[in-house]
Amino acid sequence: MTTEESDLVLVKRVQRGDKTAFDLLVRKYQHKVVKLVLRYVRNPAEAEDIAQEAFIKAYRALPQFRGDSAFYTWMYRIAINTAKNQLASRDRSPIAYDLDLTDPEESHSVQTKLQDPDTPEGMALTEEIRGIVNSAIEGLPEELKTAIVLRELDGLSYEEIAAAMECPVGTVRSRIFRAREAIDKRLREVFEGGLGRTEEMV
Amino acid sequence: MNEERQNERDSQLSAMFDGELSAAECELLARRLSKDEALRGQWSRYSMIGAALRAERGVKLHDRVAIRVQAQISQEVIYGDATAADSAVMARPALTAGEARGGVTDRWMRFARPVFGVSIAAGVAAASILWLRNQESPEILAANPVPQTVTLAPEATGTVAVSPAPIEVTERVISNGEPERYTTPVPNSSTSIAPPARLANYVVAHSEYSSPLTRRMALLGLVASDGSGVPAEDTAASDQRPEDRTQVNAH
Repeated sequence: MTTEESDLVLVKRVQRGDKTAFDLLVRKYQHKVVKLVLRYVRNPAEAEDIAQEAFIKAYRALPQFRGDSAFYTWMYRIAINTAKNQLASRDRSPIAYDLDLTDPEESHSVQTKLQDPDTPEGMALTEEIRGIVNSAIEGLPEELKTAIVLRELDGLSYEEIAAAMECPVGTVRSRIFRAREAIDKRLREVFEGGLGRTEEMV
Repeated sequence: MNEERQNERDSQLSAMFDGELSAAECELLARRLSKDEALRGQWSRYSMIGAALRAERGVKLHDRVAIRVQAQISQEVIYGDATAADSAVMARPALTAGEARGGVTDRWMRFARPVFGVSIAAGVAAASILWLRNQESPEILAANPVPQTVTLAPEATGTVAVSPAPIEVTERVISNGEPERYTTPVPNSSTSIAPPARLANYVVAHSEYSSPLTRRMALLGLVASDGSGVPAEDTAASDQRPEDRTQVNAH
């Protein structure tokens, strides 16, 4: 089974009325979609807003999705179109602010907030997570580290990884799972209470 | 749940995230995920681990987008029947790859639909052409009436020559006061059979005033005519007495 077919199982569930299946798709692809949108807008917060809008559009259009293409390919197109429309509408109607920008200090403050409205805490948290993941990866046995890197960074399938590492596909599946478990354990130790607490911290 | 079973489930979750789980197992685990928030949290962290490893610049490692989307779609319409998502699993435990792609029927319909469309369009086009061709002749004739020149023999022997082309009329009066040629327009409708019928009645009613030979020729002309009645009408008119001719012209 491929990723496309696995996603299609979730899509079919959404079409049959399971909204949490769509939540799984959003959780899986939210970072990729935000990264994609960041090619069009520089502001991370704006990119998240556009990604959110794109996912909502996708949910509304999902009854018409027949699986001719992969879900992510379809989502990719929706996200790009949403980002382009956002840019076009922004060009048509420049933002007007009811602020007196004649004061240089106030003007600088507002512009800084518009460029990056994310709090420093949020940025710090992201950096912290990256640090934890990277340190956890470094602490893994070599075969687990190789397997997870080939999967996540190079995007190889289990079969391709098995060929590269000269081991059975079942072993690859086990190694990738064990690598994830080890990293996840470190994350759970730091963010006790799961991702809800992460959100609160943000 | 014992540790071994939990490990197996988590291993399945990892494989499903990578799209490496069988369709049947994937369906069952998706069903489990829809009821288990902790398992969905684990799914989210798997996604986060990948994003962190890829070091995607500008991407915040949190679930803010997912949380907002979830809040928004909770107010959206639910597709299908929410209970059907699980009942479908019970009724059909193994979703094959072919079914997942839409099934043979769907694919056949995808091919057949444009073919049906083209066939219907071609049929409509052919019917339109046939209908237009049927409608065309009377319209063209009506728009471009071809004048006919009727040349009468001087002794009114009944020989009638019809030539369709000439438009110009050269009116030469013969001995009995009738012009040698008439130029008459072609009737607008091919279905006008009323004038010959009226003319036939007229000829019969006034037969006592014409000679037997002339009467017979007039009747033969009527019978032989194709319904347009033009030649016979002119021939009959040439045979009439002057007082009757005005009535014919009035017809």
